[in-house]
Amino acid sequence: MNKNIFERIDVLILIVVLALVGSGLIAIFSATYTSGTDYFSRQLTFAIFGLVIMIGISFVPPRIIARASYIFYVVSLLLLVLVLIFGKKISGSKSWFSMGGFGIQPSEFAKIATILTLANFLSTSEDGFKNVNKPLVFLKAIAIVFFPVVLIMRQPDMGTSLVFLSMILPILFWVGMSPYVLFIIISPVIIVLGAFFGMTYLIAAIVIVGLILLLFKKNILVTVALVLINVAIGFSFDSLYHKLQPYQQNRIKAVFDPTTDPLGSGYNVIQSKVAIGSGGMFGKGFLQGTQTQLKFIPEQWTDFIYCMIGEEFGFVGCVIILLLYMLIIFQLVNNSYLSKNKFLSIACIGFSSIIFFHLVVNVGMTIGIMPVIGIPLPMMSYGISSLLSFLIMMGIGMSAYRYRNQY
Amino acid sequence: MDLEKKKYVIYSLCAVVLILFITRLSYLQLFNKEELSRESDKNSVKTITVTPPRGIMYDRNGKILVDNKPSYTVTITPSQFDKNNLNEVSSLLEIPAEELQENLKSFKGTNRFNPAKIKRDVDFRVISHIAENRDRLAGVDYQTDAIRLYSKEFHGSHSFGYTSEISEKMLGKQIGDYYKQGDVVGSSGIESNYENYLRGVKGYNFITVDVKGREIGQLNDGKDNIPPINGSDLILGMDKDLQEYAEKLMKDKRGAIIAVDPKTGEILCFVSKPDFDLSLFAGKTDPKVFSSLLNDPDKPLFNRVIQTKYPPGSTWKMMMSLAAMAAGEITPTSTIACNGSFVFGNRSFEDHGAYGNINVTRAIEVSANTFYYKLGLQLGIDNYNKYGKMFGFGGRTGIDIPNETQGLLPSREYFNKRYGENKWTPGLLVSLGIGQGELGVSPVQMVAYTAAIAMDGLYCQPHFVTKIKNSMNDTYEDMKFEQRRINIPQKYFDAVNKGMYLVVNGGGTAKNIKSEDFVLCGKTGTAQNSSGNNHSWFVGYAPYDDPRIAICVLGENQGWGNVFSAPIAGALMVRYLGGEQYETSDEIKMVNQGTQD
Repeated sequence: MNKNIFERIDVLILIVVLALVGSGLIAIFSATYTSGTDYFSRQLTFAIFGLVIMIGISFVPPRIIARASYIFYVVSLLLLVLVLIFGKKISGSKSWFSMGGFGIQPSEFAKIATILTLANFLSTSEDGFKNVNKPLVFLKAIAIVFFPVVLIMRQPDMGTSLVFLSMILPILFWVGMSPYVLFIIISPVIIVLGAFFGMTYLIAAIVIVGLILLLFKKNILVTVALVLINVAIGFSFDSLYHKLQPYQQNRIKAVFDPTTDPLGSGYNVIQSKVAIGSGGMFGKGFLQGTQTQLKFIPEQWTDFIYCMIGEEFGFVGCVIILLLYMLIIFQLVNNSYLSKNKFLSIACIGFSSIIFFHLVVNVGMTIGIMPVIGIPLPMMSYGISSLLSFLIMMGIGMSAYRYRNQY
Repeated sequence: MDLEKKKYVIYSLCAVVLILFITRLSYLQLFNKEELSRESDKNSVKTITVTPPRGIMYDRNGKILVDNKPSYTVTITPSQFDKNNLNEVSSLLEIPAEELQENLKSFKGTNRFNPAKIKRDVDFRVISHIAENRDRLAGVDYQTDAIRLYSKEFHGSHSFGYTSEISEKMLGKQIGDYYKQGDVVGSSGIESNYENYLRGVKGYNFITVDVKGREIGQLNDGKDNIPPINGSDLILGMDKDLQEYAEKLMKDKRGAIIAVDPKTGEILCFVSKPDFDLSLFAGKTDPKVFSSLLNDPDKPLFNRVIQTKYPPGSTWKMMMSLAAMAAGEITPTSTIACNGSFVFGNRSFEDHGAYGNINVTRAIEVSANTFYYKLGLQLGIDNYNKYGKMFGFGGRTGIDIPNETQGLLPSREYFNKRYGENKWTPGLLVSLGIGQGELGVSPVQMVAYTAAIAMDGLYCQPHFVTKIKNSMNDTYEDMKFEQRRINIPQKYFDAVNKGMYLVVNGGGTAKNIKSEDFVLCGKTGTAQNSSGNNHSWFVGYAPYDDPRIAICVLGENQGWGNVFSAPIAGALMVRYLGGEQYETSDEIKMVNQGTQD
């Protein structure tokens, strides 16, 4: 009987999710208990609600989810349109519905709907994945992601848009896209990164991209053409960069040298590094973090929640949190690998990519190696929409485990 | 590529990111912790300096001489100060806006985050305005400080000295960084000399503040606060009642009084007149008041006890007697003919009278000039200088307040330098023999010399402070001052002391101050002054057989020694020895006997 439970329920995800949500609640409590706000109790209420939903969803058979996915998708797009019209503008972005004192962010739910729709689209052939190397399938797949991204960029919410884009590559990779094509898609990103650091890095990046393209041993003319396109992208980066909003430029600049603007965009990065660094090995203790308790870090219960962990629980706390996320990602990828149901297999890859991307960007930002892009730390940051959306993803991830042997 | 391989590709990618993050975290949290912690503290911890009250000064009987009282000091934390409030704060504190702005600009770095003292001793009206508008006047605050409280009965201005806000020059010169702008330091007198004891040690309270600078509470519940150490109290040898009486006797005069306990050198009273009210300096000092004191023609800031250099006149005659006897020029019984005047070269030196052949005791009693004209020549410049030095002339007594003069004790080198080698004659020694000419002494030198004679050669360094009370454990530390023996035989001191006894109790120049109850001894003197009335000196001690007080009184431009200085000295000695009932009146009747010094 016991064995049966472990066979039917993804206990690992359940435990790790509880640990992460619990850690998040502790951190939110510590970050807000002096401020007289009720963030903690709200998050607690919705965490319980969300965990119930998660467990509920884990019992839903995949085909029901698959069937519902298109409806979700259409409803999500509709909500994304509506939020542009009726939404409430918070810190420059029109991404919220205000409902009875709570803010609902449709883009958080659109993530799930888009992944599910993409998974559904790419898995309809019974014995496996659709061939994404066919241009039409590829373009359709891209289009599924394209619509919500365009709407979200209109809000504008660059962070969330990037999240949508971040899940495409792993999914394409998973369903069998040719590594050559994948690399062609990635190569401009490498070039742009190189260009950002200066001419030497740009040339080095072009050389590396060129060499890797050569390694694929494809038509030399095509390879040369691709290299040339990349060169053009690299050199036009400068003009693209200047088309970014000034605050976005500053945020990117501040990553590399926060001291250039210690009270502007670099402020958060410096303060969060100071908070985390001053935590040391074991941290200053629960409720003892001066940086966070004294509100040197803005919005520390949302995007900068990792600072709380770093300052109050130290290196040990930080590493434990990282390991918990890695466990979730590994388990999702493993569920994906084990799942005979290709729809859930793809969905789990999408979810793990999203968690991975959130983790890298959010933690990277707080420890000063990524630009400040406002996306939450999954299941820990305060935010009802984000919390519920991740818990729903985890529910589907658990169902992938439960129904791993069903086609 | 099958799914299993892809799974491991993804796992590897995650592992790389994990390693990268852990590396970065260990860099921040394990290797850069110290630096980032400091950064974090600087951010959120405000340091409030707690200045302890200065030590109190007590007299020899435990009566308070200099006390403290609370006052308010306005502080501004430059980093929080809103420039829009500049004009309001400027008019509130009565500081010109430009000056205030400059002042605030001068705080750099982390100092900007800590409150800086801007104005001391402000009215309660100002404090209540700040308290009522606390939210609006960001960064403006006040703290309670102790400032000096002085007795209204007497001044003691030149002894205690004043405290004032530390000057920029002093801030720049200090070793270390204990003092900060706005701190109060002892600037003269005992306050200055014993600054390191009186000031105590500042404490620091660590207050956590949020990002807007609002105070949240004490850091670590105040466990990390460093409490201040109160200033150490000083126990002075001064007698408060005697000091008060001495100041009354000198009221509206110009001159100096210093009395010591001849056995120890403890200063019993110390008066330099005119003086000033120290409380003018206790809080905010009006620059006008200061400059009016500075420019007063009577020089109230000048410390006449330790800074004047007048010739001692006839009070020098004990010096000459002892030197001549010790050098073997005369004995206590040998006599010198004193016939009314003395001719040296082509110049005649006058005397008050003709006394015939007299010995040294009689010469002191009647203050015979001729005796000492001759003795000066006989003694010669080298012995003159040698014995002068022995009694502390031409050098500092080491009194424990700053800016003491060395005076002037001539020597062969001095004259050679001044007049050229061999271009001066021994004739200079004739005047020097009676304490006139190029000889400069201060009252403190004179009192130490008189006390040494009274003690038959025990020379004590005059000093104010006898004990220091350690504020940490309430124990008393005795102060050590120099005492030395002057190597001159007892019989010579006997001859001189007998002379001083006769000055008052015989037919001498100060018989006007003879007391029925105490045996007073002394010597009058009149310092010739080419630019005004002569200066009136009196040195003395009492009682004759067991000296408990030695005194020197100088009356600037007050004429004869017995007219002005002797009565004051007499009254004070009697008052000290006999107590309050001997305090006759605030004004001593000046005798007028005309021609005696």
